[in-house]
Parts: sequence; structure tokens; C-alpha cells
Amino acid sequence: MKSTAPDITQIPLPIDQWTQPFWDAAARHELVMPRCAACQTWRWPPTPFCPKCRSQELEWMPAGRPRLYSYTIVRRPGPNPDDPAQIVVPGLVEFPEAGGMRFVAAIVESEVEAIRIGAPLTVGWTPKDGTNVPVFSLG
Amino acid sequence: MRKAAAAIVGSGSTPYYFRGQSAPQTQYELIGKAIIAAIADAGLMVEDIDGIVSYAHGFEASNIVEMLGIPELSYAATVTGQGGGSAGVLDLASSAIESGRAQTVVCIGCSQQLGAHRYGTSLASLATTPLAVFSLFSGLVGPGPSMALIAQRHMHKYGTRREAFAEVVMASRDYAMNMPEAIRKKPLTLDEYFAAPMLADPLCRLDFCLETDAALAFVVTSAERARDLRQKPVYIEGAAHGGGSDWGRAFFWLNMEDDVFASAGAERVARQVYERAGVTPEDIDVALIYDHFSPLVVMQLEDYGFCKRGEGGAFVESGAIRPGGAIPVNPHGGHLSECYVIGMTHIREAVEQLRGVAHNQVPDARFALITGGPAPVPMSAAILRN
Repeated sequence: MKSTAPDITQIPLPIDQWTQPFWDAAARHELVMPRCAACQTWRWPPTPFCPKCRSQELEWMPAGRPRLYSYTIVRRPGPNPDDPAQIVVPGLVEFPEAGGMRFVAAIVESEVEAIRIGAPLTVGWTPKDGTNVPVFSLG
Repeated sequence: MRKAAAAIVGSGSTPYYFRGQSAPQTQYELIGKAIIAAIADAGLMVEDIDGIVSYAHGFEASNIVEMLGIPELSYAATVTGQGGGSAGVLDLASSAIESGRAQTVVCIGCSQQLGAHRYGTSLASLATTPLAVFSLFSGLVGPGPSMALIAQRHMHKYGTRREAFAEVVMASRDYAMNMPEAIRKKPLTLDEYFAAPMLADPLCRLDFCLETDAALAFVVTSAERARDLRQKPVYIEGAAHGGGSDWGRAFFWLNMEDDVFASAGAERVARQVYERAGVTPEDIDVALIYDHFSPLVVMQLEDYGFCKRGEGGAFVESGAIRPGGAIPVNPHGGHLSECYVIGMTHIREAVEQLRGVAHNQVPDARFALITGGPAPVPMSAAILRN
């Protein structure tokens, strides 16, 4: 059975000045991660200070290749009583090339039995409010 | 060993209710009943109260002062932290006593879930902030799936088995069978555990704690005064609340450093509480371990030094947390089987164990450890002695 995407249509997308660059890049189908411009320490999420040197300057870099750090399998009733349960897989996606930062996102369209910690992933995009929300699948 | 400055001299509680069944009582009504019961248990008067401390949970000292006619407060404080701070109320109370800011402090905890308000969906009901949206978009709808990410990692890294989580739940159920007010009293077999529906792999329904309503209160005063009061004093030998940037917001963040990710995040606060109490894990006779999710009990046993990192699963499966085991855990049945009031029932059980009146009494219990929930900083813990 394959994992499905959670319904995010009812969830608003608030953006502040710290998350704006992430969503601007996502609109272009680019997955980026923030790094301190002063000391090159990666961080996620984009909080207002570098926790190592307290600089506020950020540079947004390509996140690189994703792999699965951890995951869980959540079964939800389908929209109608006789529908099969939907399987949603919240995953913790790790970016080894971006300092090992982890990003929580849905693992979609993937054979649930094949999902493993360490599995390489491919990013996909779900359109949302003029930008795109990243989702990931096996492979 | 340092001489304890403060002691718990009164313990009070409302009855324990399944979620929503405390209605039509209000939350403040439950709190008032618990305080009145605790003060009576101590042989004191409400008028004696001059300090109020609580774990942050949607109620204010001002309302309590007004409601109960407390003439004059000289100390009021709250520990923050999503359940992690629960045992920290004892740290605040003993700080107030030690510094002379108050003489009679009540520690309060209350849980009441009415209508649509449920902790199980507490992440989804969080304000949709620019940072929270990432969790919401991923399908993480409650604390359970987030804990599952940690438990999954522990299994991957150390080979921990679901049998260990099952043992935590089965042990809690066996203890709860003797508890007069326990919500879940039916014994549980391994087959029944494995037949329970999976809610968030590797967590099944039985790995989640109860959702219940109750209020509890504890009266803390100086060790010197405690010796003249009616109850056998239970000394606060050490208490702590703290944590570091390697753990931060914990499951709201999920970027904890790799070496602590598959843990309960309690190593720092464990070190703090043992240092303050001047004891080691070998000295602890009974452990009241915050059990919102069974895998986190396994990880706390590691963090608090009852076994080595990664060996919690085998330790639990050996029977270590059962009566007569290396460290009896949650003889009241805990949050998994007795009642969930954000750590407060653990304080009550520690007091009863050290008074020697517990329903599942650990013979000659002298030191009890109480832990706050694996949760955002500050995490907390306390060590009590009789």
C-alpha cells in the first residue's frame, strides 16, 4: 500500500521575514536551507539568531540530497465510511550536505513496506498559496 | 548529603475522572478542592498559604487567591515547558522556602479536557505560526506521532523491541489493578498488546497515556516546621528544572543533536538533580517516571542512569521495573493506566511511598525519584526522602 499526502488545503500558510526566503525558493521548486553567513553554522528552522555566534545574517543554500532520518505511519479513516484507511507518513528528512539539518515533511506515494531509515528520497512539490510545499518520496 | 530545607507535608486530590467526566465542575473548582484537601491533610489552614506554584497549564494564582480568600501571597511562580516542567513545581517550592520568601507553599496541577479540547490533538490546535506550519503540513497531528519519530530512531539505533514498550504498559497495568481509582484496571497480555491498533508506528493505542481530569495539590514548608506537623515529612532532597540547546523545543523542533535525539533528553536535568540530592541512581528505591508514551519510559531509565544508553529495552524486558526488580517504576500504574494529570499523580505516589502508605508499597522505600515529561526545556526532576 502506498502512502498518501495529508490534506493541507485547510491549513493557512503564515510567513514571516525569517521564513520568506524558504517559500520564495519553494515557489521556484528549489529546496533551500539557511546557514549563518558569519560562521557557516547550519540551522533549522530559520530563527533570528545563529545559536553559535548570534549573528543575524543568513545565506540560503541548496539543501542537497535528502534521506530519511526517522518516520512514523499514521492511519486515518477515509473520507467515506466504506473507504479504506488512508496512510500518512510524517517523515523526518535529513540533509547531510546541509549540516545534517532535519526537515519534517510528508513521505508520499511510497510503498509503506519499503520505507526505511536511511532511505534516499526525492523531493516533490504541492502547490499552496502561490508557492509550493515540499513532500518527499522513496527513490 | 546536604540537609533538605523543605518538605512535603500535605497531599490532596480530587477524584480521578475519565476525560470530560469532571463536568460540570469547573477547572478552578477542581483546583480549589485539591488545595483544601491538601491543606487539611497537612493540618493547616487555607489562611496559612503564602506561596502558590504551578506547572503552566492555563490557570492563574490571582484567581486562586481570590477564590479561596488567601489573605497574602509572598511568592507565586510557574514552571513552563509542555509537561517537562511538572516536577519543577517542587524546585520552585523549595526555592521559595530556602530563600525565606514563603513559609507555606502549595504546588498545583490540574488537567481537565472538556468538549473539543483534547491533548491528543494539541499540536494541530496550536496556532498556525510560520514555524509550526512545517509540522502541520507533514501530518504530525499530535504529540504521539512526534514521539514515534524518536521511538523509531531508538529501535533503529539500539535494536529496541516493541516487547519493551509492551512490558512498560503491562507492568503499569498490573500495578494499577490494586489502585482504587485507576481508570484502566484490566490485566493486559502480550498478545492483546500486539493486537491493539497501531496509531503511529511503532506506537499502538496502548502506548499512549490516558486522557483524564483531576486536580492535585501539595503543601511544602520548611523541614524544621515539617517535623511538628501531623504527617510524616517527605523531604525534598533535591529538585531541578533545566536543559540545554541540544534539546530545545524537543519534538516541536526535531533537530536535537544526533547523540541525544534517540533519548528522553533528560541527561542534563538528571545530573542536576542527583548532584543537588547528593545521591546516585543506586540510592533510588522507587522511580515515578513520566509516562505519557511508553517508549519514553525506556529512554528515561537510560537518561537517569538506571541502565546504559541503548540498553533500556533489554533492561525493562528483564523485569527490572516490576515489584522486587532493580528499580520499581510507577507502582500507582502511572499515566498509562491510573490517571494522567501532567505528572502530579507521580508526586502523590512518591509521597505515599515515603509515608509508607502506598497501595503497592515498595518495602522500606527511602528515596523516590520523580521525573517531568520528556518535552521542551525546562525538563524537571525531584528526589524525595523520608
